[in-house]
Amino acid sequence: MIVGLSAAALQGAPVVTQDVDLWFEDIADAGIAKALKKMGGSYIPPTMLNPPLFAGGDVELFDIVLTMHGLDSFSVELKDSIEIKLGSCKVHVLPLERIIKSKETLLRPKDKLVLPVLKDALETIRANRKK
Amino acid sequence: MYISSKKLKNICKHKGLKLGELLEKADVSKTAFYALVRKEDILPRSIRSIASALGESPSVFLEEESPEERKIKRLIKRMNAIVRRKPNLDRDNVWHTLLLLSERPVVRLRRGLTRGRKIDFH
Repeated sequence: MIVGLSAAALQGAPVVTQDVDLWFEDIADAGIAKALKKMGGSYIPPTMLNPPLFAGGDVELFDIVLTMHGLDSFSVELKDSIEIKLGSCKVHVLPLERIIKSKETLLRPKDKLVLPVLKDALETIRANRKK
Repeated sequence: MYISSKKLKNICKHKGLKLGELLEKADVSKTAFYALVRKEDILPRSIRSIASALGESPSVFLEEESPEERKIKRLIKRMNAIVRRKPNLDRDNVWHTLLLLSERPVVRLRRGLTRGRKIDFH
């Protein structure tokens, strides 16, 4: 499932980000290794100081997320995720409301900066739906 | 100058839209639409008079707005309506959100990533 600011951008929030955060329920899922092989990428396991990473040209854009703070489990959040068509496939995307919830829980300096933008975007999207 | 229902229906068919769906998308009521369709001439009388005084067709001096201009004007109108209802919102945030909502999701993501990655000061 796509989470973080790239998920927010997909829904229309005017934010910038350096990577696409992918939340995995199980990083050992065989499908991940298969996809990495197809894209010529590889998986770098976590070390004491570094989180797990993807390496290789086309997959370095993606960051691995295994825990989302302030949210329910992956399977619960997946049920309410949004499906968005990207190219030829549909991807699960964490709803903007839940991205905000997670950032409010973490409240790192960078979260504090982006939260007002995310909240304004959410209200705009809602108002735009109602017209 | 009048509205050709036949032409309009053909365009709708070509774009996979029903007339009702088109009107809803355009935010035009059925009453307003059928009132226009019934008119023999949809141009104001003053435009006709000016054209007649020139001995030309109105189309000679009428210019159509580009689709981009129309889109921007529609978005500005919507932004103003939202900010009027919710004055606590930042106009810039509302504007940029509306602009992005008018794009496909993949374009929205590409923009966010491009801006985030291409910080290249010289």
